[in-house]
Amino acid sequence: MTWPEALQAAIDEFADVFDPMERYEMLFEWAAEVNELPVDEWNDDNMIHGCQSQAHVMCHLEDGQFYMRGGADAQIVQGLMAITCLAVNGRPPEEVVDLEPTFVDEMGLKASLTPSRSNGFLNMFKRVQDEARSLMGDA
Amino acid sequence: MSLDLDAIRADFPILSRKVSGGKDLVYLDNAATTQKPQSVIDAMTHYYEQSNANVHRAVHTLAAEATEQYESARDTLADWFGTTRDNLIFTSGTTEAINLVAWGWARSNLNTGDAVVITEMEHHADIVPWQLLAEEKGIEIRVVPIDTESDTLDMEIFSASLPGSRLVCVVHTSNVLGVANPVAEIISQSHDCGAKVLIDAAQAAPHEKIDFTAMGADFVAISGHKMCGPTGIGCLLATSESIEEMEPFMSGGDMIETVTMEKSTFATGPQKFEAGTPKIAEAIGFAAAAEYLSKLDMKVVHSHIRGLATYTASELQSVPGITVYGDHSVPEGSGVVSFLHDSIHAEDLARFMDAGGFAMRTGHHCAQPLLDAYGVTSTNRVSFYLYNTKAEAAAFIEHLRYIVGKFA
Repeated sequence: MTWPEALQAAIDEFADVFDPMERYEMLFEWAAEVNELPVDEWNDDNMIHGCQSQAHVMCHLEDGQFYMRGGADAQIVQGLMAITCLAVNGRPPEEVVDLEPTFVDEMGLKASLTPSRSNGFLNMFKRVQDEARSLMGDA
Repeated sequence: MSLDLDAIRADFPILSRKVSGGKDLVYLDNAATTQKPQSVIDAMTHYYEQSNANVHRAVHTLAAEATEQYESARDTLADWFGTTRDNLIFTSGTTEAINLVAWGWARSNLNTGDAVVITEMEHHADIVPWQLLAEEKGIEIRVVPIDTESDTLDMEIFSASLPGSRLVCVVHTSNVLGVANPVAEIISQSHDCGAKVLIDAAQAAPHEKIDFTAMGADFVAISGHKMCGPTGIGCLLATSESIEEMEPFMSGGDMIETVTMEKSTFATGPQKFEAGTPKIAEAIGFAAAAEYLSKLDMKVVHSHIRGLATYTASELQSVPGITVYGDHSVPEGSGVVSFLHDSIHAEDLARFMDAGGFAMRTGHHCAQPLLDAYGVTSTNRVSFYLYNTKAEAAAFIEHLRYIVGKFA
């Protein structure tokens, strides 16, 4: 899959790191880069269910392109949101719906993809794709 | 007297594996499930390699061997738990054992207006079945709260809840706090009021020798996988009187006596509640786990596990920003220590610990009402078992201090 330039740069940056601890530290730093959804906009409607952390996401279209904003109290989840923004923002919603979240695997963060009812990342990614699907009719 | 930890650790092959980029695995999620000794793995493998067949049916050699091994497992476990084979019903685990009491005993013995007493300390498995039964039967659920200052059940409210109750359901040892409840007093008071008692011993059986007869409860629910056995197997210990009063809530093969197109009659005793092809290899593995534990002094096992929890809780108290839940100053209790940091999210902390090779649990631990009582939605939890060492506990604290120093 060909990723946007900014995401590919992030993937390369993570792929060069072999220590999982260091990768999580990098995600902590990425958490500050998210298209932020401020806490005062967090509500039941934009809450991602099934997370161990409090995570929220809001999505919209601009000129027919998909954009997400997110926020989480767990910094690693918010860091993954920031990376996800690189993957999905500025794409047509039809493309977002078909995306596979393999960029996380390429970044050496496969543990984040573990299927689990408490997996914040997968629940977040599914929610983003659900939002994209519902916005497709509005594009 | 102490445990020969080198010898014990050598019995558990998984403990030598590396995780997270070559780090030694430090497995501290034993309250979720314990690791399995080679003898349990071998017992199950041997059964599948040599004796696999369905039980209680055919007359061929393998069927006879499988039946003998399966029923021998029941004898071994009944002996381990201080009861007889007629009082041990195999289930898939504690959850099914509690559901068997709810749907097998309470559904046919309780009536509208009868009360069931539960506590705020219960696992969801000992809350939800009673809520479902309450909806169906109109029974009353009385909840005994926890005193979050002392981390103990409010025994005054417990006593006041008993008159008119028919069943009391209490967790022996909390899976969140590691706190052990005064089970003997609970059983005595409940029986004085005419109520039966169900004890959820999922977190107690792994490190305390459960003697069903001496305990005096009417029902005890146990999981095999939390005490070195395989997943998918556990048991309900029940008094003969209680078993007589129970009706099957699952039906099919193996639990019948005769079936015609008009009517069926059922087997008697435990088999009445073991519908379908049973968990044969799992029962054999469960018995092998009890045999493994029987070679150890369980009082020493308990002291070892509790000692690690006490040490860890004490060290955690000195880490800036950490709150520890539960009273770990008393000898009673388990190897569980729950804690939270005031600025590092529980999930982040768990991932940082995993990156260091430390397996621990994060979340509500299927005990949301208990966490609500403490005003939190999740905790980090470490839980020690017989193969954990003080060096592992110290390494855990050291890595935690490093993370707190770096990210808090």
